[in-house]
Amino acid sequence: MSEDKQIIQQFTSGEYKEGFVTDVEQEFIPKGLNEDIVRMISARKEEPQWLLEFRLDALRKWQAMPQPEWAHLDMPEIDYQDIIYFAAPKKDKDRPKEIDPKLAETFDKLGIPLKERDVLAGVVAVDAVFDSVSVTTTFRKTLAEKGIIFCSFSEAVKEHPDLVRKYLATVVPSGDNYFAALNSAVFSDGSFCYIPKGVRCPMELSSYFRINAKGTGQFERTLIVADEDSYVSYMEGCTAPMRDERQLHAAVVEIVVEKGADVKYSTVQNWYPGDADGKGGILNLVTKRGICKGDGSHLSWTQVETGSAITWKYPSTILKGDYSSSEFYSVAVTNNHQQADTGTKMIHLGRGTKSRIVSKGISAGVSQNSYRGLVRMAKGAQNARNYSQCDSLLIGSRCGAHTFPDIQSRNPTATVEHEATTSKISEDQLFYCNQRGMGPEEAVGLIVNGYAREVLSRLPMEFAVEAQKLLQVSLEGSVG
Amino acid sequence: MGHGRYIEPPKGQYQVQSGEKLELQYVILPGESRDLEISIDLAGPGAEAHIKVLYLCKADEKVRIRVLMHHRAPGCHSTQLINGIAGGRADVRFDGTIVVAPDAQQTEAFQENHNIVLTEEAKVVTKPQLEIYADDVKCSHGATVGRLNADELFYMRSRGIPEAEARTLQMLSFLSPVIPEGREEEIESALRGL
Repeated sequence: MSEDKQIIQQFTSGEYKEGFVTDVEQEFIPKGLNEDIVRMISARKEEPQWLLEFRLDALRKWQAMPQPEWAHLDMPEIDYQDIIYFAAPKKDKDRPKEIDPKLAETFDKLGIPLKERDVLAGVVAVDAVFDSVSVTTTFRKTLAEKGIIFCSFSEAVKEHPDLVRKYLATVVPSGDNYFAALNSAVFSDGSFCYIPKGVRCPMELSSYFRINAKGTGQFERTLIVADEDSYVSYMEGCTAPMRDERQLHAAVVEIVVEKGADVKYSTVQNWYPGDADGKGGILNLVTKRGICKGDGSHLSWTQVETGSAITWKYPSTILKGDYSSSEFYSVAVTNNHQQADTGTKMIHLGRGTKSRIVSKGISAGVSQNSYRGLVRMAKGAQNARNYSQCDSLLIGSRCGAHTFPDIQSRNPTATVEHEATTSKISEDQLFYCNQRGMGPEEAVGLIVNGYAREVLSRLPMEFAVEAQKLLQVSLEGSVG
Repeated sequence: MGHGRYIEPPKGQYQVQSGEKLELQYVILPGESRDLEISIDLAGPGAEAHIKVLYLCKADEKVRIRVLMHHRAPGCHSTQLINGIAGGRADVRFDGTIVVAPDAQQTEAFQENHNIVLTEEAKVVTKPQLEIYADDVKCSHGATVGRLNADELFYMRSRGIPEAEARTLQMLSFLSPVIPEGREEEIESALRGL
C-alpha cells in the first residue's frame, strides 16, 4: 500500500521521462532502401556472403509484398525511401575498451547498468543497443564459463557463424510477412543468446534498445536458442526520444526451445507514444515467434505494452514437441491517440500440448486497443488444451476496446476455451477509494494495477516495479 | 488501410426500436448445409434482441453462422447463444460480432458459442468478436470447442446406462439451452442418429 503510494507520488509529473536526446557523433548511411543500401549495411558490418544473400533475398520478397491492412489500426502512410536504415555512434576502428561516456550516461539516465560493478550482485547481464549497433554487453565472461553465449548479433555472426546460420530465420522465415521481410533485409543489430545443453542460466539476460538519431528506423533482430534441458529468462526494454516525426521500429525475435528446455521472455515496451495530440511517436511493428521444438519444452511470453503510437505485435508459439506448453501474459495500455493491435498465436501441433493466454487491455483517451489472437488445434494435437482470457478496461467514453479471437479446431480430443469481458472502472470502486482520501488519479492507478496484477506478477522482479510505474504514468491525465 | 476508428456497419436485416424485443431461434438439423446470416440493429433506446441457434452435423454439411449485433442506441440489451455438435466431416464456422457504437452507453451484450467435435474429420472455426466504442458497457463473449466429458460418461455408465444412451443424454443436456420449446423429441431423435 505505502509502496504503491510512493510510486504514484513519484510519478505524478507524468511526462515521458525517457524523451531526451543524446548528442553523440553518429555516422549514417544515406536515406532510402534499395540493393545498394542493403549491400552497404552488410559491408559496413563486414558480413559473410551468405548473410548478404539472405538480406538481398529478403529485400526482393519485401519489394513484391503489399503492406498488410487487416489490423484494426489507422496506419499513416510510411515512406520507406525517407528512412535512414543504419545509424551508429562513431567509434574508433578497433572496438574501444571503454564505452563512450555520453552513451554510458544515457543508459545511466535510463537506469540501465552497463558497468558490471554497478549491477545488483550480478543478477542481470545487459546487451545495450543504441540505434543500429550494440554498444556493450555485460557479464560475457561470467556467462562464457558456463558455455553460454550472449552477445550482439553482429559479433555472433563473426564468432559463431555456424550457430547463427543453423537457426537464423528457422522460426520467422524472411518472407513471413511484410515487416519481417523488411527486417530481414536491413536488420542492424540485436542480441544473440545460446544456452548449451543442461545449463541453467544463472542470471537474467536483458537487451535494452534505444532509438536516438533523427529520421532513422530501428530494425533489430534477436535470436535465442535454448538447447536441451536448459533454462533462461530474458528481458527486453526500449525507449526513444520525443520527436514530432513518426519513427519506425520493425524488429524480429526468434526463439528456439529444444527438448525439455524452458524459456521465459519478458518485454516492457515503452517507446515514445507521441504527444497528447497524437503527433510523433514510434510505429512498433514487430514479429516475435518461438518454437517449442522438442518434447516437454516450455516458452512463456510476458509483455507490458505502454508506449508507441501504433503497436502491431503478436508474440506467438508453435507447439511442435509433444507435451510442450506455452503461456502468453499481456498488459496493453493505450492513452491519448495511441493504437494497439496486439495478441498472440498458439499453434498446437504436438500431442498433449497446452497453452494459456491472459490478456488485459486498458484504453483511455481517444485510443483504440484490440486483442487479436489465434488458437489452432491441428490434426495431430491429441488432447491439446488451451485457455484464453481477454479482458478490456475502458476509461473515458471516447476510446475503443476490441477483441478478435480466432479459434480453429481440427481434433476432437482438443479443448479450447475463450472468454472475454469488457467493462469500465465501476463508480463503486472509485467511490470507495475516494472516500478513503485517494484522488481520482491515484484511485485509477491502484485499480488498474490490481486489474493487471495477474500479468505483472509474472515479470522478473527488476521489471515488475518499472512496469507498475509505467502503467501509472501512461494513464495520467485520463481521468477527471 | 485498416481503420482503428468506428465505421458504421451497413443497415441490418432487423431494426429493433425502443420498447421492442426481438427473439430469433434457428435449428439446423443433420443433412442441412446452411449459410445463416443475421444482422440486427438495436436502433432505439432500451431495445432488446435475443438469438438462439442450434446446429447438428453428422456428414459433410457446411454450416456458416454469421451474426452482427449492432448496438446503435443506449441502454439496449442483447444475448446470443449458439450451441452445436459437429460430427462426420462437417465444416462449421461461426463469425459473430458485437459492435457498440460511440454513445451507446449502458449497453449489455453477451455472446456465447459452444461446440462439440465428435470426429477426427470434423472442423470447427469460431471467431467471436467485440468492437466497443463506448465505455459504460457490460460486454462479454465466450467460446469453447471440446468433446464430451469422459468423467460424466463414466458416471452414467457405472450406473447402468448404456454408452450410446449416456452419450445422447450428454448431448441433450449440452444443447438444452438452445432447444426450442416443443421440439425436444425431434432433437433427441436426431441425436440418436448421430
